[in-house]
Amino acid sequence: MKTTAVHSHRLCAHCGSERAPGDVLTGLADRAMFADRLAASLSRRRGRSRRRPAAAEQPGGLAVLLIDLDRFKAVNDTLGHAAGDALLRAVAKRLRGALRAEDIAARLGGDEFAVLLAPPTTAESTAAIAERLVEMLSRPYLIDGGVATVGASVGAALCPGGGEVEAELLLRRADMAMYQAKNDGRGRYRLFEPAMQERAEARRKLEADLRAALALGQFELHYQPQINLATHRLTGFEALLRWRHPLRGMVPADSFIALAEELHLLPTIGEWVVRTACTDAIGWPGAPTVAVNVAAQQFQNGWLVPSIAAALQASGLPAARLELEVTESALLHNGSVAIEQLMALKALGVTISLDDFGTGYSSLTQLRSFAFDRVKIDRSFASDPAVARAVAALGASLGMRTTAEGVETAEQLNRLRAEGCTDAQGFLLSRPVPAADVVGVIDRFAIDGGVPGAPIPNFHEKSGTRKRERAA
Amino acid sequence: MKKTPPLVRLVYVSRNRLSGDAATMEREVANILAVSRRNNVRAGVTGALLFNADCFAQTLEGRRDAVEAVFERIQCDPRHSDTVVLQLEQAVPAFADWSMAYGGRLDDERARFDRLSNDADQATRGAAADSVLALLRSVVSRALPALG
Ligand SMILES: Cc1cc2nc3c(=O)[nH]c(=O)nc-3n(C[C@H](O)[C@H](O)[C@H](O)COP(=O)(O)O)c2cc1C
Repeated sequence: MKTTAVHSHRLCAHCGSERAPGDVLTGLADRAMFADRLAASLSRRRGRSRRRPAAAEQPGGLAVLLIDLDRFKAVNDTLGHAAGDALLRAVAKRLRGALRAEDIAARLGGDEFAVLLAPPTTAESTAAIAERLVEMLSRPYLIDGGVATVGASVGAALCPGGGEVEAELLLRRADMAMYQAKNDGRGRYRLFEPAMQERAEARRKLEADLRAALALGQFELHYQPQINLATHRLTGFEALLRWRHPLRGMVPADSFIALAEELHLLPTIGEWVVRTACTDAIGWPGAPTVAVNVAAQQFQNGWLVPSIAAALQASGLPAARLELEVTESALLHNGSVAIEQLMALKALGVTISLDDFGTGYSSLTQLRSFAFDRVKIDRSFASDPAVARAVAALGASLGMRTTAEGVETAEQLNRLRAEGCTDAQGFLLSRPVPAADVVGVIDRFAIDGGVPGAPIPNFHEKSGTRKRERAA
Repeated sequence: MKKTPPLVRLVYVSRNRLSGDAATMEREVANILAVSRRNNVRAGVTGALLFNADCFAQTLEGRRDAVEAVFERIQCDPRHSDTVVLQLEQAVPAFADWSMAYGGRLDDERARFDRLSNDADQATRGAAADSVLALLRSVVSRALPALG
C-alpha cells in the first residue's frame, strides 16, 4: 500500500525476524503503524502551529474514525473463517477506495478498523465520510458463492484546525463516539461531543458502583404475589431484584440489569438471588412457592445446577417450592446446554416456567423444547384476550399452567380467567413488596381471597383500599 | 480437480444517488453504461440495467469469480447506495448477447423497489428477483433494437 510503504521494517514481536509492516490479511496499516502515523500527524501540526502567529490562518483539522463491523461474528460462524477473512479483505478494499491517498486506513485487529483523515478535515467532511463508510460497508458482499452482509458502526473524533489533542485522547474520544453509535442502534456514525465524555464518566461510575453493590449488601429482593384464578388463593411470589444505593436511591431494574449482564455480573448476582429467595421463603406461612428469574448468562458457566442445589440444601426449602423462570431468549442463546441444565433442575424437584412468553421470535418452538411446568404470558398481552386464549389452550394441551403477567384491572383479570389462564400476577393483586411485608400480604390474601369465583368488582375495590393503606 | 467456475446470475436493486435533472441523469447513466460495456466484455460478464429517479435494477451474469469482481467494484460506487441482492444462483445467461443491455428509464409502478431490504426473507427476495428479471427482459427486448 503506497501510503504506508514509506515506513521502515519493524521486528516481528513473535518471531523476532524482520517482516513487512502492516496488516498481513488486508494490506492496511496495523495498530502500531496507525498509532505511529497518528502521533506523527499530530506533532507535525503542533510544529506548524507553533511557527505561525496565533492570529494567522490555522492549519486544517484531522480526524480519527474507529469502525466496528456489526454481525461479523455471524458471518464467520456461518460461512467459516476463510469467508470471514475474504470479507475483511473486501471491507479493507472498500474502505481504502473511499479515502484520499493521504488518509490512513488500518485494521486494528479482528473486525475493528480505523481511519486517519489527514488535514484539511472539518466536522462536516468527517461526518460526510463517516456516513458514506457506514452505507458503503453495509452493502452486501459476494463471498464464496454466497451473499454476506455486515453493518458498520463508526465513532469519530476531530482535532480541529489550531486545536491540540493528544493521540491517546483523540482515540478515546473516537471510542466514546463509537460506544454512542452502538448504543443508538449500530449501523450509524457518531461524532464525539463533550456530553459523551460526561456520559462515559457517569457510566464508569455506575459500573464501579454496580460491581461493588453485592459486596456492600445493596441488593434486595421484593416479592410480588401470584394467585390461582380458580380459587383466588395466593399460590406464590416472584422474587424481583432491587438495588438500593445510598446516593442513587432505588435504582430501577431496567437501568442496571443490562449493565450487569454486560459486566458479566449476572451469574454471581443470580446465585445471591436464589440463596436469598430460598432463605426468605422458608419462613413464609402456608408454604407458598417462590419464583426466581434465571438469566441467560447463568447457563454458561456450569454453575447453575450445583448452586441451586446448594441453595436448597442450605436453606432447607423443599425443591417443589422453588420455581425458576427462564426467558425465551435465554434458551435461544444457550440451546441444548440450557435444556440439559433445566432437565437436571427438574430432576431435583424444582419447577420450571417459561417467562415473558410471546416477546421472543420462536415462541412455539421454545414451548416444545422442554416440558415446562408453566408458561407466563408477557405483560404486553394482558389486554389481548386472543393471545391469552391461544396460549392458555396451548398450555393446557401441553400440561402447563398459564400465568398472566401485568394484570392491572379487574376487567383484565376476568377476561384472562375466561380465556383459560390458570394464574395471574400484577399490580391489581399487589405491587412487589419488600421481604419484610410478605407475611402481611399472605395474611391479607388469607382473609379476603380464597373464595372460588369470588365477585371480582369486590376484589378490585379491596385492592384499591390495599393500595391506599400501603401508601399511608 | 480443476473445474471451471459455475455460471451465475446476480440480481440486485439499489438506490439512485445521481443528482440533477432528467437529462443530466440520462447522461450519467450513459457514462455508466459505456464503462460497464467496456469492462464487462473484458471480464466476460453480461447483463442488463434499468433505472428510475429512485433506484437502479441490474442483473449480472457470468463466471462466478468474474461476477463477484464486477459486483464488488460497483459496490464502491457512490452514484448509488443501499444495495439489496435479490438473487445469486447458478443460471444460464439470459442476456448473453449484451455486455450490458439497457432497459432505459422506467418510472412506472413496476419498478418500485425502494421498499426492499437485505433483511427481507428469501421468498420476498425471490419474488422480487423474478419480477426484476421479467421487467428487464421485457424492456430490453423493446429497447434494444432502437439502441442499435
Ligand atoms: C448502478 C451501477 C451499475 C454499474 N454497472 C457496472 C458494470 O456492470 N460493469 C462495470 O464495469 N461497471 C459498472 N458500474 C460502474 C462501476 O461502479 C465503476 O465506476 C466502474 O466499473 C469503474 O471502471 P473504470 O475503473 O474502468 O473506470 C456501475 C455503476 C453503477 C452506479
